Amino acid sequence: MKNLLYFLIFPGFLFTAICGLVASWVDRKLTARLQWRVGPPWYQPFIDILKLLGKETIVPKGASKLTFLSAPLVSLASVTLVSTIVWMVDLNPSKSFVGDIIVVIYLLTIPSIGLMIGGFASRNPLASLGASREMKLILSYELPFLLAIIVPIIKTSGAIRIGELLTYQLGNGLIVKNLSGMIAFFVVIFVLQAKLSLAPFDIPEAETELMSGPIVEYSGAPLAIIKLTKAMMLFTLPIFLIVMFLGGISTDGINIVWGISKYIGLLALVSIIKNTNPRLRVDQALKFFWGPLTVLAIIAVVLACMGL
Amino acid sequence: MLKQEFFKFDKLSVFVAIFIIFFTAVVLLYSSGFMRRRKNLIFYYLYLILTSISALGAVFSENLLLFMVFWGFLGVLLYLLIGFGDKDRTSSTAKKTFIIVGGSDAIMLLGLALVWRISGSLQMSQLSITLDTRIAILAYLCLAIGAFAKAGVMPFHTWVPDTAEDAPVPVAAFLPASLDKLLGIYFLARITLYMFKMDLAMNMILMAIGSFTIVAAVMMALIQHDLKRLLGYHAVSQVGYMVLGIGTGNPVGIAGGLFHMLNNAIYKSCLFLSGGAVEKKAGTTDLENLGGFAKYMPITFITFLIASFAISGIPPFNGFVSKWMIYQGIIETGKNGGYSWILWLVAAMFGSALTLASFMKLIHSVFLGQPSAKQKISDLKYQETVPTMWIPAVILASLCVIFGVFAYSIPLKMFIFPSLKENVSFYGVWNAGLATVLILAGIILGLIIYFIGTIARTRDSDAFIGGEVLEKNPDMRVSGTEFYDTIKDAGILKIFYRLAERKVFDIYNIGTRITFGFSGVLRSIHNGVLPSYLAWCLLGLLFLFYKLFR
Repeated sequence: MKNLLYFLIFPGFLFTAICGLVASWVDRKLTARLQWRVGPPWYQPFIDILKLLGKETIVPKGASKLTFLSAPLVSLASVTLVSTIVWMVDLNPSKSFVGDIIVVIYLLTIPSIGLMIGGFASRNPLASLGASREMKLILSYELPFLLAIIVPIIKTSGAIRIGELLTYQLGNGLIVKNLSGMIAFFVVIFVLQAKLSLAPFDIPEAETELMSGPIVEYSGAPLAIIKLTKAMMLFTLPIFLIVMFLGGISTDGINIVWGISKYIGLLALVSIIKNTNPRLRVDQALKFFWGPLTVLAIIAVVLACMGL
Repeated sequence: MLKQEFFKFDKLSVFVAIFIIFFTAVVLLYSSGFMRRRKNLIFYYLYLILTSISALGAVFSENLLLFMVFWGFLGVLLYLLIGFGDKDRTSSTAKKTFIIVGGSDAIMLLGLALVWRISGSLQMSQLSITLDTRIAILAYLCLAIGAFAKAGVMPFHTWVPDTAEDAPVPVAAFLPASLDKLLGIYFLARITLYMFKMDLAMNMILMAIGSFTIVAAVMMALIQHDLKRLLGYHAVSQVGYMVLGIGTGNPVGIAGGLFHMLNNAIYKSCLFLSGGAVEKKAGTTDLENLGGFAKYMPITFITFLIASFAISGIPPFNGFVSKWMIYQGIIETGKNGGYSWILWLVAAMFGSALTLASFMKLIHSVFLGQPSAKQKISDLKYQETVPTMWIPAVILASLCVIFGVFAYSIPLKMFIFPSLKENVSFYGVWNAGLATVLILAGIILGLIIYFIGTIARTRDSDAFIGGEVLEKNPDMRVSGTEFYDTIKDAGILKIFYRLAERKVFDIYNIGTRITFGFSGVLRSIHNGVLPSYLAWCLLGLLFLFYKLFR
């Protein structure tokens, strides 16, 4: 029962949703400022979700209705679960269970799977193309991502609990302060961009060619859920990386400001990359991730093995 | 006692035997729906039951020679069962399978002889051979090759995709997908854990073979155009995890490997059986001509979806638990020093992403996506299959869920841990039950949000494709077969794919080439011209005289 409360309110759904929507506002405001616009007020993302809830839900003819409508729910549930796990561990490292890093890495792909299945179910060729690009993008970034995530595991000599990583970083300094950690973190920033499907890796949604790809047929409440899931990912994913590489967000006293500034910094970086880069083609992204980034990640792993 | 001399009933054997009987029952039920109105059915069922009996004999054998006899029967029965397929290539596939499996049996026999030479005993429980001499290593490798060929580990895998494509679906689900995996990995576990004392180097070899199998086979699966062939490549790829798990040599990894063997048999046969239901309805397994079946076969779609998630290792299904244990085992080996574990871990985890990719393609091309113009979906025959065909799939799919959610309390505690020699020191389990409850809570939460919104009154409308009409433009349909052509054309991979499509890596093909190469050389001598035969005689005589009167 207590777990359910954690899951639904803090640090699960409600907390993540609010923070995610605020984060998406920060992103939008930054984008606007970079484009020399005024930008929306802070409550704009909340209004958007509410407005979508009031809109009509349209299901494409001949589509598998149940699959089409339930796919977004699975995404929402899994991102909430990830957020709960990461925050519970961040607040109390001893709550970490064995192998939770692996669990989190696997759970993090489920939102994309939900998006793909939903796109496939919508019986729209544009959605099919977009979803296939999403899958190719996952394949592309997964290789450097796994290699980069192994770096902290090597540094802590085989810790597979997030909690152990946090306590290690408390005692021995942040992972990112090592040369290997720095390179791995550099790699992970690009992966972050791709996992959030933001430019230059907004290939699956490519508004200008695929009309937002897998979500082209969604409207009303399902679209609201998808937008909410995306906002929550924008919050959860950077937090996971902060926990892995930057020592997490500690909540005692003044440290919380430092913790929040870590997140805001990462978010601003993501937003700036998004606004200053054109979209790549999917084969270019594949070559970029399997080529230079994988090599960099391997260098990071080798350096970590050498103890740097 | 005669009984103790020839048979044994330890926990590992009993565990494998229970599931052999279970899969036999499932496949018999399914066959009664699938194989209706075919010829020679009496022989088909006879072979199925004989296969089951020989498999039971093999797992209960204590004496290695007796084991070999049952093992050999299985090869013959596999050959006979593949023959029930109705494709043109069926007979050549059956021959290929028989040659690969039979050839590996011969190598196993050699291994048996070596074991006799080393220890003077063929009783499994009396053997405990250390891998310190070359002959011991050779003996281990010979026996392992038998297990590998049975389970379909690379490079002895090439019969699996062919069989999957050309044999009838229940046979593919029964032998390459479930029973041969159980037996092959059972024997590998038997020799690795009980009969031989492994050292680090041999474990390393096992892990390398496992990782290579995972990645290479799944890369081949990505580009397949045929539903059953694609599943066949996955049947190869998944064995990699089991070999990797057993190769880790620590209890968590081994338990994970054995658990993965069980899980794989469950979800892989579920995939084959669901795929077979589609084949029965559509009359084809070519992905190009399928699509949109979810609406017409909802039960089959759901079973297939669950099994796909399980094989891709999506929590909370069973595939995730065993993979998670194997990963732990791999990381654990890193504590012995050395850094090769990084390579195995990345291969295994990346292989899992590739598996997901190829199943996304399948789900799209078979069940979702846009229906092919060749399928007339208004036909009445596009309804759910007969109950005898979907009930087995539903049983297997629910096992995927149960073994995933209650992994620790049911399969691990009842079957896996007792069958291991050492006690598994488990540092804690991933609480799949709680995670499932929370995911369900999340879904309910989403549903509430749906009902706050306007989900109660939805409207159907045509898909929006920039104002075009899909039915009028068949070119716009995305069949899904070309999803991963980007990967196929990327850099070095292009060369490997081209070579693989020319069957350069097929051990059977290499074997035939060598054989025919020899016979080709010898045949060119026999050209039927009398003077050339005389010339050969003369040459021979000259050689003889030279040797004798030198």
